[in-house]
Amino acid sequence: MVDVSKSVSGPEGRLDILTGVNLAVAAGESFAIVGASGSGKTTLLGLLAGLDVPTSGSIRLDGGALEAMDEEERAAVRRRLVGFVFQSFHLLPALTAEENVMLPLELEGNDDARERARVALESVGLGGRRRHYPAQLSGGEQQRVALARAFVHRPRVLFADEPTGNLDQHTGEHVGDLLFELNKTHATTLILVTHDPKLAARCTRSAALHDGRLGVGA
Amino acid sequence: MNVLRLAVRTLRREWHLVELRTLAASLVLAVVALGVVSTLSTRIERGVLASAAELIGGDMGISAPSSLPAPLAEAARNDGLAVTRGATFPSVAFVDQRSQLVDVLASDASYPLRGTLEIRGIDGKDRVAHGPAQGEVYLDHRAMVGLGVQPGQTLQLGGRDLKVTAELMRLPDGGELFALAPRAMMSLDDANAAGLLATGSRARHRLLVSGAPTQVARWRSFVESQTLPQGAELITPEQTQERMRTAFDRASSFLRLTALLSALLAGVAIALAASRYARRKTAEVALLRALGTPRRRVAALLVTTLAALALPAAAIGVALSLALAQGAWYFASQLFAGVPTTLPLGPAFAAAAVGLAVLAGFALPPLVRLAEVPPVAVFRDSVTRRARRFDALYLVPLVVALALVWLQSDSARLAGILAVSLSGVALVAAGLSALLLWVARRVAPGAHPALRLGLAALARRRGLSLIQATALSLGLCALLLLAVVAPALLDGWRRELPADTPNWFALNLQDDQRHSFEQRLGTLGANKLNMLPLAVGKLTAINGRPIDQLTFTDERAREWADRQLRLSWSGDLPPSNKVVQGQWSGASPEEAEVSIDTSWRDMFGLKVGDHMHFVIGESDVEARVANVRQVDWSSFRVNFFLLLDPKHSADLPHTWLASFYLSRGHADDLARLSRDYGNLSLIDVDALLDRVREIVDRVGTAVRWVLGFSLLAGALVLTAALAASAQERRHEAALLRTLGARRGQLRAAAACEFALLGLVAGLTAALGAAGAGLWIGTAIFRIEGFVPPVWPLIGSAALAAFVVMLIGLLGTRRVLRTSPMELLRE
Repeated sequence: MVDVSKSVSGPEGRLDILTGVNLAVAAGESFAIVGASGSGKTTLLGLLAGLDVPTSGSIRLDGGALEAMDEEERAAVRRRLVGFVFQSFHLLPALTAEENVMLPLELEGNDDARERARVALESVGLGGRRRHYPAQLSGGEQQRVALARAFVHRPRVLFADEPTGNLDQHTGEHVGDLLFELNKTHATTLILVTHDPKLAARCTRSAALHDGRLGVGA
Repeated sequence: MNVLRLAVRTLRREWHLVELRTLAASLVLAVVALGVVSTLSTRIERGVLASAAELIGGDMGISAPSSLPAPLAEAARNDGLAVTRGATFPSVAFVDQRSQLVDVLASDASYPLRGTLEIRGIDGKDRVAHGPAQGEVYLDHRAMVGLGVQPGQTLQLGGRDLKVTAELMRLPDGGELFALAPRAMMSLDDANAAGLLATGSRARHRLLVSGAPTQVARWRSFVESQTLPQGAELITPEQTQERMRTAFDRASSFLRLTALLSALLAGVAIALAASRYARRKTAEVALLRALGTPRRRVAALLVTTLAALALPAAAIGVALSLALAQGAWYFASQLFAGVPTTLPLGPAFAAAAVGLAVLAGFALPPLVRLAEVPPVAVFRDSVTRRARRFDALYLVPLVVALALVWLQSDSARLAGILAVSLSGVALVAAGLSALLLWVARRVAPGAHPALRLGLAALARRRGLSLIQATALSLGLCALLLLAVVAPALLDGWRRELPADTPNWFALNLQDDQRHSFEQRLGTLGANKLNMLPLAVGKLTAINGRPIDQLTFTDERAREWADRQLRLSWSGDLPPSNKVVQGQWSGASPEEAEVSIDTSWRDMFGLKVGDHMHFVIGESDVEARVANVRQVDWSSFRVNFFLLLDPKHSADLPHTWLASFYLSRGHADDLARLSRDYGNLSLIDVDALLDRVREIVDRVGTAVRWVLGFSLLAGALVLTAALAASAQERRHEAALLRTLGARRGQLRAAAACEFALLGLVAGLTAALGAAGAGLWIGTAIFRIEGFVPPVWPLIGSAALAAFVVMLIGLLGTRRVLRTSPMELLRE
């Protein structure tokens, strides 16, 4: 990420969210972005994952310049390289746990989606809850399904947005353990946005965002 | 917290929401559709009654073969009614050596009391007039040609010399088909002085009155309480112009049907928009409850918000419907000239009341249930406890829909058919959709990715998919009924009146004149000539019991028993007749047989096998009731209540009744024909046919016009259905895009989803419309052999499925453009 800025125009004129952000994350590394609410963490994560494009500057993911791609090309990059974990899980309520996990594989047109989803659910300890709907699962279990969905297609990079933000401390720690364990198993690059200093400390590197500028972390 | 102020503020803040706009638009549309149609129907109905009164020259009257008792006229005058006396009789007019049989109307100077008598004076100018002065006579064109006379000349009638002072252009003619020969009009005093009305003459005396409806009704009761001369008959507007009446009734049913379906469609859109609005408000209500707002206050706020939206929308609907009805009156006023043009306000306000009831019935249940959202839902969306005690509320829309069908259709039968058909469509649509979803879950894993995603999308929103498919099916069914079935019904009706429907009748034709008359018609280019024997007689006994010893519950039976009856005979069952009981006799049964119309069966309580005794001329005829016929009296064909078999009737004294079609522009030829066959009465029914055709055409225009409302209502249903799932779609699209779904994949999935939805809705709607159309066509409009246009229905259903897919895709364009970032921002 080289000299990336992002601004939006709102009812009160132009608003600079990120200014001159430079960042490089190596393959296999785990990197935490911390910062107060409104500091631009989520915007930065969205740009890194190719969900949005910067106003200026350049972002390369696995060698490809995201800002030069159109939305369809970025979608292809996400499908191939990226996994996501969200703060509010974002499971589809009408699909079972297994069907939710199958989604990324189905989008790729995989024939063995169901089998791989079953294995992924077993890896997060929910092999017995495959046919349950999200509403029948606890918050922690829902986030574990989301983890299974994030890793099922073996992404090169995993983006996690406050993955434990909606969970109690104990469940949050358990989900955090699982996240790092899977990350290690799959040798995935992890980019994490969090308020939680303990979770950030488990990453190999971290940086703090303050008023849209990235400071140097540990 | 002032509930009203908060409600208005809420409404202003939320006005941008598509649900609220859909609610308002649906209500306006329901009020406009119902308001315009019922305003128009009310005015047309008034027009029909007024024009029927015009046709008899007064609001009511009485006629008798002898002079009418003086107290009848006195009672009318004393009650403030206008009165005119007159008489009709056949007579022969002479000019030099020429003579012509004419039907004479002798009247006093106040005739007509209703409608207009138009004449062309000696100066060649047309003007409105009343009965002629003493010493004067008016003649119609045929009489003038027949006698070779011009205005200003003199003729002899009843031994008196009368000056022809005008040509009769238009005359309230009583609508009696059998009394329309070349006509002459003279003063009643002259007729009396000439002895034309003396005892023993063939004159029929009449007395007409007009005035306020209550006085007219009072006079009628008075007349009915009096002992009247034998053969006296009441003349009422309702009796006249039966065919016009039938035409109007059908027209009215068509219009009410279209308006009703539009209103129901609007109701479906309201229901969808309201439930969507309720879901959107869940979080807000949970917050209000968490902040301590009592449940009752929340409900009051929701209801007040709805009222604040509904009342202005209903007012706009009333204003629009009055304006549109005024515009539409242009068409109706051309049809019924000269009737009062005041705009009735009642129907538009009644429509507003019905519209508000529809809104309340369809929108209140989800909103009232919303008040049941527990405060704890503020912490977790998924806490949606079902308040079972409010389940019964969902019966309200059903009751409102049924009440609406009942009130608007004005016919329990139509109401029943529509209610059963639409409920059937709803059930089949829901069943088919449920089946589709069940299949979807099973076939999805092996299906094409786009289809799999589409099926998954349908399955994901299972409840909503069922509601959408049902609402779309109902909407499409209503549209297909209007767009495909109604025009087919109109066509069926129009086919009953083809351009060459017989437009002339000739009465009194003698046996020896038949051949030459036929030849003369041939030279004029007439076709469709049909001749039937016509005998006049009386019914004297049933099953051996003299008629005057029998008692009947139906008053009409007594009247018929006193009357001279017209009978005919035929070896073949006439067209537009259907045997409903017994067997058709054929040409030569062993014993004399008679075929009776259903109304005779009902009036006299007759059944197959009974014996009827007639005196025809000087012959006695004892005939067995062989069968009962259902006659389509609106067919413009010559029909008879009683048909004898030819074998036992051919020798009875009779004349012939001919019907034929002759194109226009033969007035002079027919006048000559009438002169050459002095005994003949020629009757022109073109004017009547024209008016019925005109009604059919106007109804066609009106139906197309109302169809516009229905299309709008259909579009609203689709918009509401799409809006109902828009938020879920956006969320899903954002998630799938985040996971890397291509836009094409999402588009293909949406196309599959909507195509499947459209297919279920289209198929169910086509089936429903075909069934309901067949039922309505035969049971309500009584169009013989009506078959709903199956292929156009299937084609329209396929087109509808395609349009649903297209509109669905257009509607999801924004969804497809949803940035995946939305997901991170939630």
